[in-house]
Amino acid sequence: MASVVSAQTRRIASVKRERPQRSVASRWRLVFGVILGAALIGVVLAHVWLRLQVVRMGYVLSTTSKLQTRLEQENRELKFELARLNSPERLGALARQRLGLVAPEKGQVIVLR
Amino acid sequence: MRRTQERHHRRLLAAKILFLGLFLAVGGRAFQLQILQGDKLMRLGQRQHLKEWIVLPKRGALFDRAGEPLALSMESQSVYVRPHRVQDADKVSQSLARILGLHAAEVQQKIASEKPFVWIKRQLSSPEAEKIQALNLDGIGLFYEPNRLYPQGQLAGQVIGFVGRDSEGLEGLELKYNDYIRGETGSSVSERDALGRRVLVQGIEGLQIPPGSDIHLTLDTSIQHIAEKELEASIVKYRAKAGVAIVVDPHTGEVLALANYPSFDPNHYAEQSAAQKRNRAVTDSFEPGSIFKTILAATALEEEVVGKEDLFYCEMGKYHFAGKIIHDSHPQGWLSFAKILQVSSNIGFTKIAEKVKKERYFKYIEKFGFGKVTGIDVPGEVPGLLRRADSWSAIDLATHAFGQGIATTPMQMVMAYAAIANGGILMRPFITRRILSPSGQVLLDNQPHVVRRVVSEKTAKLLASMLRDVTTEGGTGTMANVDGFDVAGKTGTAQKADTAHGGYSKKRVGSFVGFVPANDPRLVALVLIDEPEAAVYGGVVAAPVFRNIAQAALRRLAVAPEKAMPIAAITKQADLAARQIVKRSAPVAINVGADAVPDFTGLSLREALEKAQSMKVKVRLQGNGYVVKQTPAAGGHWHDEDVLVLHLQG
Repeated sequence: MASVVSAQTRRIASVKRERPQRSVASRWRLVFGVILGAALIGVVLAHVWLRLQVVRMGYVLSTTSKLQTRLEQENRELKFELARLNSPERLGALARQRLGLVAPEKGQVIVLR
Repeated sequence: MRRTQERHHRRLLAAKILFLGLFLAVGGRAFQLQILQGDKLMRLGQRQHLKEWIVLPKRGALFDRAGEPLALSMESQSVYVRPHRVQDADKVSQSLARILGLHAAEVQQKIASEKPFVWIKRQLSSPEAEKIQALNLDGIGLFYEPNRLYPQGQLAGQVIGFVGRDSEGLEGLELKYNDYIRGETGSSVSERDALGRRVLVQGIEGLQIPPGSDIHLTLDTSIQHIAEKELEASIVKYRAKAGVAIVVDPHTGEVLALANYPSFDPNHYAEQSAAQKRNRAVTDSFEPGSIFKTILAATALEEEVVGKEDLFYCEMGKYHFAGKIIHDSHPQGWLSFAKILQVSSNIGFTKIAEKVKKERYFKYIEKFGFGKVTGIDVPGEVPGLLRRADSWSAIDLATHAFGQGIATTPMQMVMAYAAIANGGILMRPFITRRILSPSGQVLLDNQPHVVRRVVSEKTAKLLASMLRDVTTEGGTGTMANVDGFDVAGKTGTAQKADTAHGGYSKKRVGSFVGFVPANDPRLVALVLIDEPEAAVYGGVVAAPVFRNIAQAALRRLAVAPEKAMPIAAITKQADLAARQIVKRSAPVAINVGADAVPDFTGLSLREALEKAQSMKVKVRLQGNGYVVKQTPAAGGHWHDEDVLVLHLQG
């Protein structure tokens, strides 16, 4: 009888010893699962965030590209305007009509050596 | 208990079958969408969120030798209609017509078209485009198109040429170097959002299409402008039909100016005639007349057949030769070879040609580059007309002596004179200095190119001195003289062939070709006036144009006069007033002996220079306006080697 009780006591004791061990393992599994899940969610969120950033930057790039095109066009227009305003034909006409200038007569040009 | 277990098994099995069926259905659908219809659906999807954006070619620019732009490219907007999308054609046509300055009926006709796409107006101005955009009409759209603009207008129009609506060069340098300057048309596929806006999620690399290369020319805008202005003035004055003026650097072959009249503005190429577009300097050949006598003179001197002072009897203006009578405009008796060239005697040159013989003469005509294209880099050059010597009749020797029976281009003629000017070397003319890629890489670099030596340096110098006499007293080209320089050149008054009746008509071509300074030429220029009416002689209609062009060009090239020039006095009221103001604050002049430093204070720049020149005092100038201080001070001791420093202000 005593040996039966003793055997039962050992089994109960071993059960008591095993229960805390299983609980720690499952807790680690749970923690690991939560971390993994959070990481996955983090990756997904990061992916979505990056994707949104790419789209946002795409819009910014598109706007900047349009601005660049417009400024380049404006630059070309200004260069054209400058060249037109500097043309000898126009400057000659302005000098004659507005300022009353005339071409130098014979001997009016003094050359400095 | 057992029955319960069996029921659970059956439910589990049913659930398994259900889920398997669902998975199979999903898998099957996925197979259908991804594999069977994958390509088609992908295309449909891409059509919705991807769009191909066309990147228009950016044509390179053209610049003169100083970097002044002669041709630039821009983007202009053109307005189009998609007729089937227009809601209210009447209202739309009236709105568009009002903005675009068109007739409403004309616009309505385009809107009523059966075609899916019709242009309403190309290349709008910016305000027009903005107004149309603001209307936001259904079926009406704006499209960017490249637009070529020429800021200098008609300046060198025939040389530059023009491009068509599709940005392809059609004439001139625009055509010649089209492959270099065209730029590439590209496309870029990028995503677009629900509103059709472009979203550059893939970056902008696809939009970076390299533009065309820039061309830097040898032309000088200032000299070109003077050449065109002076040519036009002479043509208007003498009621001529057309004209050409060319200015070339004789040592390199660089073309500094190439002017044609009638002028051509490439900004409005569609409205102008073919005659205006023609670059006559290379596309037209003409009988050169007396300016060709120089070629025979060079042959005679090089072959030592005739000496400069050899005498010829000029038959008092009437010479029977090969069954024909050759005339001189002014009867002459005995003349030296040099004098024959100076007065341009046809009879004298006929006699020289008899001595030279036709084979030798022909050899030099060819050596000077006649009968072949010069190789200048503009399209449409013709070789002229040169018959072989063995086909010449007896009279042909005489006519070739004074420039008839042969056709040359103005460019050939100016290069032949350039050969005499530079010491006997025929150069290839060129008008494009270099072509630079957008990254600055040199794609084409034109360097002076020697074609061949034509005559010895000694012959060239001797001939140049003889041509110098042409512009001195008694010569035919005195009106070509440039103040402060010796000019060498030759006049020509050629009869024009009568193509309808044969022989020669009463129409003339007046010309002058020469170089300056005669002993160290910096430029060679040709002026040709076609069919002048008020006067016909080259010495009258063309020589003054040469003078004015050469004078301005030499100033532009900073070539100092060789001879002292008289200084004209200027007494303007403003000058006097300003001088008096300065004079009051200036130190009093000390008039001392001949070795004393003269007083320059209070003088204007012009007066100071006049005084310095008359007193042979070397001066150095600092500033501009009126002399306020001088070093050494007036009255001090003056040494011949001293330099007087004048400080100017005001």
